[in-house]
Amino acid sequence: MWKYILKRLLLLIFTLFLVVTATFFLMQIMPGTPFTNPKLTPEAIAQLKSTYGLDLPLWQQYLNYLIGAAHGDFGISFQYQNQPVSMLIGQRLPISAQLGAQALVVGVIAGLFMGAASARNKNNKIDGTLGIISTLGISIPSFILGIILVYLFGFKWPLFPVSGWGDSFSQTILPTLALAMSPAAITTRFVRSEMIESLSSDYVQLAKAKGLSAKEVVNQHAYRNSMIPVLTLIGPMAAGLLTGSTLIEQIFSIPGIGQQFVLSIPSKDFPVIMGTTIVYSAMLMVMILITDILTAIIDPRVRLQ
Amino acid sequence: MDTWKKVAIGAAAVVVVGGGTRAVGLWGGEKSAAKGTLNYSLPTDIQTLDISKNTDQYSNQIIGNSGSNLLRVDAKGKAIPDLAKSIKVSSDGLTYTAQLRSGLKWSDGSKLTAQDFVYSWQRIVDPKTASQYAYLASGVKNADEIVAGKEKVSKLGVTSKGNTVTFNLAHPMPHFEYLLTFSNFMPQKESFVAKQGKSYGTTSEKQLYSGPYTFKGWNGTNGTFELVKNKNYWDAKSVKTQTLTYQVVKKPETAVQLYKQGKLDEAPLTTTELYSANKGSKDSVKVPEARTDYIEYNQTGTNKFLANTKIREALNLATNRAELVKEVTGGVSTAGIALVPTGLAKTASGKDLAQYVAPGYTYDKNKAAKLFAEGLKEIGETKATLTIEAASDQPANKVVVDYLQGSWQKDLPGLTINQKFVPFKQRLQDAQTQNFEILLTAWGGDYPEGSTFYDLFKNNGSYNDGKFINDAYTDAVNKAETKDALDQSDRDMDYKNAEAALFKNSNYSPLMFRAHYALQNSDVKGVVTNTTGLIQDFKYAYRK
Repeated sequence: MWKYILKRLLLLIFTLFLVVTATFFLMQIMPGTPFTNPKLTPEAIAQLKSTYGLDLPLWQQYLNYLIGAAHGDFGISFQYQNQPVSMLIGQRLPISAQLGAQALVVGVIAGLFMGAASARNKNNKIDGTLGIISTLGISIPSFILGIILVYLFGFKWPLFPVSGWGDSFSQTILPTLALAMSPAAITTRFVRSEMIESLSSDYVQLAKAKGLSAKEVVNQHAYRNSMIPVLTLIGPMAAGLLTGSTLIEQIFSIPGIGQQFVLSIPSKDFPVIMGTTIVYSAMLMVMILITDILTAIIDPRVRLQ
Repeated sequence: MDTWKKVAIGAAAVVVVGGGTRAVGLWGGEKSAAKGTLNYSLPTDIQTLDISKNTDQYSNQIIGNSGSNLLRVDAKGKAIPDLAKSIKVSSDGLTYTAQLRSGLKWSDGSKLTAQDFVYSWQRIVDPKTASQYAYLASGVKNADEIVAGKEKVSKLGVTSKGNTVTFNLAHPMPHFEYLLTFSNFMPQKESFVAKQGKSYGTTSEKQLYSGPYTFKGWNGTNGTFELVKNKNYWDAKSVKTQTLTYQVVKKPETAVQLYKQGKLDEAPLTTTELYSANKGSKDSVKVPEARTDYIEYNQTGTNKFLANTKIREALNLATNRAELVKEVTGGVSTAGIALVPTGLAKTASGKDLAQYVAPGYTYDKNKAAKLFAEGLKEIGETKATLTIEAASDQPANKVVVDYLQGSWQKDLPGLTINQKFVPFKQRLQDAQTQNFEILLTAWGGDYPEGSTFYDLFKNNGSYNDGKFINDAYTDAVNKAETKDALDQSDRDMDYKNAEAALFKNSNYSPLMFRAHYALQNSDVKGVVTNTTGLIQDFKYAYRK
């Protein structure tokens, strides 16, 4: 097991190296320089380039970047002119992480309840309603839901603030709900099918035969067993939240890392593009690794090698 | 199931308690229109509070209102003393001597000295600072050499002695007094900047303030913060507003809703949908921008059609600017009448400079067709094909080019117009290498003085992309920037002559002056608005 994790971590570092290299050289294909103010004279642009080391040969810039990155120095943002990239990301990542975590917790808990309710009321009205809700949840993109929530609870019934972050907890509610919809829907469908399957399984039949009440059967046996596989869903769902939050951050004016990433591309803020790409890919790979490990722990039939 | 029941009950409790406390206003975030408080918004995050490095107009709203310079632009657009008691200019226009007011203080109570100005000027031109606005200092002795790394920072023509700051210029600069109002040249305290190091200006705590307000509550990423009256400001008695709250609202639709709920005192109507939905409102106010969209003709001789003055004049006459503005912006922007936009600067007698210099661009399709035919005949052709190039990054450009193509082809028989759209960066490069025939360009002014536009087209000037030679124009602009640098009414006349010279030769064509509308609460009085520099100065602002 430990050997396996170590192997995966080494692979992760190698993959990151590939991502860094690919991003670095792809960025060079974009035309022009980050300094597009038409009022800058060619001498001033040359001076700025030398200050940021952009006048060096490409291989040297690449090498300098790798050495810097290995030491935790990701350079200084061109757009946010004073700020080191590590500081820029350091301030914004926790915001996106909090938003993602809140959405995941709310979504999964809601999904567990709805999925169980759906399975226990199989093929009646409750199941049908929840089925419609979860289908909508999967098919409606989070940013559409975000705009609907802003309209309903920001303006029609102004219950919650519709923009900003970090001033009050109430600011986090609408963006959390918008993001939570998709994990809630996925969890609902997953739990429903898992539970329907386990309700008809042999051990549940045995429990019933033992004379346990219907309630006890569901609580003690069916529910617990069908919940566990949900854990394996968390990795992919977290990855989905990473990409989904970019638009939600824009709609709710949340200063998160996703928004930063999007803004850095048109302004050709090389160091920020590199830094956020590294962080995104590292997070995604760690999520996948955690999912794999969890799956192995939960289901002994899966062997890690 | 018991644990799940607990969770469910817990969740329900959170909702009830949360909703309840929210309803009674324990969560903050609710704003009322209190008398000593004004409420504004910014459409983007603050990028930096670093005085030398900032280039963003929204960050400048904070920097400019929480800082002061030697001079400050008043409601009439004149630069009047702020931290300076007086400024003397030598008769050759090369030396400016500023005497500071006595007892000036930073927001932390420490003494604000003449050296703080010298340090700020040295810092912006220092290559190590890498400020993208270093070029603004060009014209001060040795500034260009220092920016290029060829001279030591200490050689800059800005020095202090006791309570005076002296500026030595390499050549007279008609706009120099406006640089003394600019936020990028506001004083900075060297010991403070050095102490903060890399984190200087990255949060509201990591900056000192010299202006009417101090800045509070910004941690580098959050979206609500305040300008609070600065009791150490020399003219604090004139500042009537205690607190100015700001929130970052990225969606203009949201800002408009907040305005209608009374939570904001201003909301920009930056989309055509918002403009048309709100244009009947009595709060809707037109806000001019210091920006002109214009057309450049390649006059290097590589294109024989555009080398012909009559053909260029025909194109200018076949341009219905009023209709163009209606088509492109729904009538929000203003039809172009000159190179310098309306609302940028005033003449010595207080008239708008653009109105004063306007040489009379009109739409006359019959005259245009006649001139076009004559022009073609002169070069022995019967028809012409020309290409308009524009940047694809701005959707409005497509409407402009479509309009020009349609109306020119209709009004000028024998003319075929092609369209060429390239990314902005490519367009810049094509402009500089004269790799275009007709180019759609825009220019934004830096300060409220004509030279910020009239510098563009001097013979062999770096922004004269069409590379035309117009001696009458160049002479008039040079006269304004040397002999008449200190005489505004003569300078106004020089700019009028310069504009007339461009008109006569049809060297370019002004299309439109950009503007937008905004909803503004009419109870807020005393806001000084500018199209360059500090867009809204809240020093004298108050709620009626």
